[in-house]
Amino acid sequence: MIEVKNLHKSFVSKKTTVKALDGLSFTAKDGEITGILGPNGAGKTTCLRTLYGLLKADEGSVIVDGINVAEDPLAVRKSLGIFPDKFGLYERLTAYEQVDYFASIHGMHGAAKHQAIETVFKELEMTELAHRRTTGFSQGQRMKVTLAQALVHQPKNFVLDEPTRGLDVMSTRILRNYLAAHKEKGHCILFSSHVMQEVAALCDRVIIVANGKLAAEGTPQELCDLAGEKLLEDAFVKLIGSDEGVAA
Amino acid sequence: MNASIRQFNALLIKEFKEAYRDKRALMVALSMAFFVPVLMVIVVNILIAKNVDNPAIYVHFTGTEYAPKLIKSLQDKNILAFADVPNEDKRQWQQQSIELIIPEHYSERMAQGKVIDIILRADFTEQSLAPPLRRIDGVIQKHSLEIGYKRLLVRGIDTKLLQPIALQIQDTALPSSNAMMISIMLGISLLLVAFMSGLSIAIDSSAGERERNILEMLLCQPVSTLKIVLAKMTCVSSVSVLSIAIMLSLTSFATNFIDLSKLGMSFNIDLATFSVLMLLLIPICFFAAILQLFFAFQAKSFKEAQATVSMLIVVPTTIPYAMMFMDSKPAWLNYAPIAGHSLLMEDIFKGLPIDWFAFAATTAITVALIAALVVILSVRLKSEKVVMALS
Repeated sequence: MIEVKNLHKSFVSKKTTVKALDGLSFTAKDGEITGILGPNGAGKTTCLRTLYGLLKADEGSVIVDGINVAEDPLAVRKSLGIFPDKFGLYERLTAYEQVDYFASIHGMHGAAKHQAIETVFKELEMTELAHRRTTGFSQGQRMKVTLAQALVHQPKNFVLDEPTRGLDVMSTRILRNYLAAHKEKGHCILFSSHVMQEVAALCDRVIIVANGKLAAEGTPQELCDLAGEKLLEDAFVKLIGSDEGVAA
Repeated sequence: MNASIRQFNALLIKEFKEAYRDKRALMVALSMAFFVPVLMVIVVNILIAKNVDNPAIYVHFTGTEYAPKLIKSLQDKNILAFADVPNEDKRQWQQQSIELIIPEHYSERMAQGKVIDIILRADFTEQSLAPPLRRIDGVIQKHSLEIGYKRLLVRGIDTKLLQPIALQIQDTALPSSNAMMISIMLGISLLLVAFMSGLSIAIDSSAGERERNILEMLLCQPVSTLKIVLAKMTCVSSVSVLSIAIMLSLTSFATNFIDLSKLGMSFNIDLATFSVLMLLLIPICFFAAILQLFFAFQAKSFKEAQATVSMLIVVPTTIPYAMMFMDSKPAWLNYAPIAGHSLLMEDIFKGLPIDWFAFAATTAITVALIAALVVILSVRLKSEKVVMALS
């Protein structure tokens, strides 16, 4: 379970100060898929980066399975499967070596590690990519490798920042099924997206973030009811109070 | 195996795979190790040819008919007329023109015992002409002196009167100490290789990984930044260590192709010298690697990292040069990294006994600096400013 409590974060430079998070609070529960929606610059990525300890909150806290990220980031990261906003691949490694590397970092070894790698490649239907070097991979293929390396250690909590961008329809379906299956197994899944249909179809709960604050929270239906709209997209626009970022 | 060691091994293996699979970049990184011994053989052979082998010098003579004995003395020392120059060397001697003008009244003034002005005309700033001009000057001076002595002898004067003092020079230097040029060249090259070989890999695995968005992914994992820094430093320095080993082996092999005894020198890298030099230089490779990683991570972009880290090459080149011009070196220089290494290498190349205290102290100080930089960098990697390259 991921609990975000009153998170504040500002980026201060010599010329400007940008307030990215302004008291954001929410909870992503086990056995649920929680979606974060928000226009560009709303603070979604900053929130997720603070969640896995890459950024330090000015105020507030993030608790993952009872552990405060600020106090023990390494222990928290062990239980997280992270798909970050920006990602790259080691282009001189094969897809298999890449995933193997991250599995080893998570302490996996021996036959169990190889079995886990085989499984994740099979589940994400990317076995044919396994022994190719990642140079020249398409955006979708790169996404799949990054997802595989994030999920190979079967983390308790998934933190995925727009995991479907660049994926084709088939790959998106594979990922949706993968997430749904893991939700059933009791994993906590938190992901951000700009695709409303995806959020509506997949998420048990939706958190709408605007200007670094929680604008609204609930099931997709509850949000539609709250805004008095039929479609989640219309509800989203109404709840954030502008049409900014909808086209993103 | 301990989980922590297993994790470090994974980091290290990945760094090695990334660095050593880029064959072209690796060859460029190692190129200096191959290049320096070859360059050394060429330079030393040129030196031997110029200083010992007495190669032919071709001179544009004017008035040879007035001074046949002088011309004979010059010819005896392989200083010949331009007309005799072989076709393949013609262009060179046309460009490096040396003219010797013997005046028409040579024999007349010689008979009268008067001073004869012979003109030696050439571009004296041209470095390549310095040895030939020195030889011509020497032969003419000697010829002139011989005539002078003969004049005194026929007048019944002992020529020893012209030499009231004879300075006897006794050089106590070992033959190996004479090989200063090789020692300086090799000493600076070894330090340079330690700093240059791992440079591209250091920038690629730090600022490069950040620019390719891989670093963020790695720093989100349950791994300490200390392990990340240690793995990267080990990999970067391995390239420098490999370079130094190649360079020393090739230099040892290359000395078989130069006859230094012609210059009264000896230079040899045996297994013991090789081992001592490796022991001395391995910490410098690690020091160079951590310095490069430190500055590359501090840079805001890949470009800035390239510019900043490239400037570090000044360190190993400037310090030994600066020390050459210092009349009295402060004692602490014996123990400072690079300066201490440079002085110890000088002794090793000269064949002098190694100052093991200075060896241990220099190594200890270098290792302490490496440890401090590793700790500082691993703390810096937790800073969002460094990780996100924020200003």
